[in-house]
Amino acid sequence: MQPRHIQSAGILVTLLYGLFIVWVYVTAPRSFSEAAAQTRVTTGTYEIDQKHFQAGVDLFHIDQFRASREEFVLADPLQRDARTQFYIAYSFYREGWGRTYDDDALFKQGLEAVNRAMSLSSGVLSVDDTNLKMHSAAELKTELQQGLERSWSDLNPLKVFRERK
Amino acid sequence: MTLNARSRNLALLRYLVLPFIFLTVVLLGGLRVSVEHHAFLFLPPSLIDLILAVMILALAVRGGLLKLHAWLSLDQPTLALISNFLTLLAFFFASAQSLNSVLPEQGLLHWIFALLFLWTLWNNQFSGLNAERTVRSLAVLFGTAFLLKHIIFSALNASDDSWIRQLAAGLIQGLVMANADDAKYAPATGYISFFAIALFVCGLALLPAGPDEFEVGEGKVSLNEAPPATTLVRHEQGIPMIEGQIVSDEVTKNS
Repeated sequence: MQPRHIQSAGILVTLLYGLFIVWVYVTAPRSFSEAAAQTRVTTGTYEIDQKHFQAGVDLFHIDQFRASREEFVLADPLQRDARTQFYIAYSFYREGWGRTYDDDALFKQGLEAVNRAMSLSSGVLSVDDTNLKMHSAAELKTELQQGLERSWSDLNPLKVFRERK
Repeated sequence: MTLNARSRNLALLRYLVLPFIFLTVVLLGGLRVSVEHHAFLFLPPSLIDLILAVMILALAVRGGLLKLHAWLSLDQPTLALISNFLTLLAFFFASAQSLNSVLPEQGLLHWIFALLFLWTLWNNQFSGLNAERTVRSLAVLFGTAFLLKHIIFSALNASDDSWIRQLAAGLIQGLVMANADDAKYAPATGYISFFAIALFVCGLALLPAGPDEFEVGEGKVSLNEAPPATTLVRHEQGIPMIEGQIVSDEVTKNS
């Protein structure tokens, strides 16, 4: 191998390694597995773990919201799947919903998750699940926003008859 | 060793190994491992790290460790210029990340360390160091900072009741305990920092003054050096000297 070839190879390797370092510092993976997942996102081959996702949905259907979220986090560690984020947001909504008052902290987290879901799906997301009463991310977002708003209607005693969606 | 093999090895060292060493320092210098979950944390260099890295670069130039005019000379081929520029860039960021690795992240200790580095590097600019002494001076500087941050202060911030912690508790408690950075990093951080600093010092020692000028044994060897008359069978006009060497080696081998 001639020095000129080594020089060209050196420039190429230096540039690639430099780009890799920039990528690592920008994405800041917290573990090797997260780094691998980030690589899959970058290359467009990222997929959620279907086993964990299904386990999360099953737990969600029996109102085990915290446990379901644990499964959803395992299914989508990088928060790149709109459907999973929708379910996470929905679990925050159902857990935070109350007949007399809603839990603001949970609703805020739900709002963050539904915003993620909407940005990942370009605002158009509809989930086909008979257990749900809201199927689109927009409906869920509106419900969460209304739950966080303060108004005179909060004092309406008839509110106790409303239904959880 | 034939001239051809030497040229090839020096080229490998200069164009592949040296940038690789500096870039590895860039990668590892900002890496920390948290105590909780042992998660990676990547900290980019702060502004003071970059300022101090400029001073290290200036010190390397003033100390004769780097002949900047030779590295960035416009008389050389474009590929060589690009390669030299990338190596210098890697060196600069390796310096910044080495500082990032040994400076405490925040608090009073961060500023004390930064001021001490600033003071030492500024003084060294005018102390008439040569290349060898510049490397030694930087090695000692980084070694001391590493020792203080990752051995002494991390022991002081440890959760156990070691004798060093008890001693410090009575002496400099307010100063040291205020810096809780080390408490949140796992011991692996110290090992990574040690590896990064060791690599940086190795890179400094391997860095040639000119881009193609290496010290081998007692003398200096240049990648572009003309071969001795005994080995030079025929030098092709119009071909760069390094290629002339290879041609001559091949001719010698075949004849």
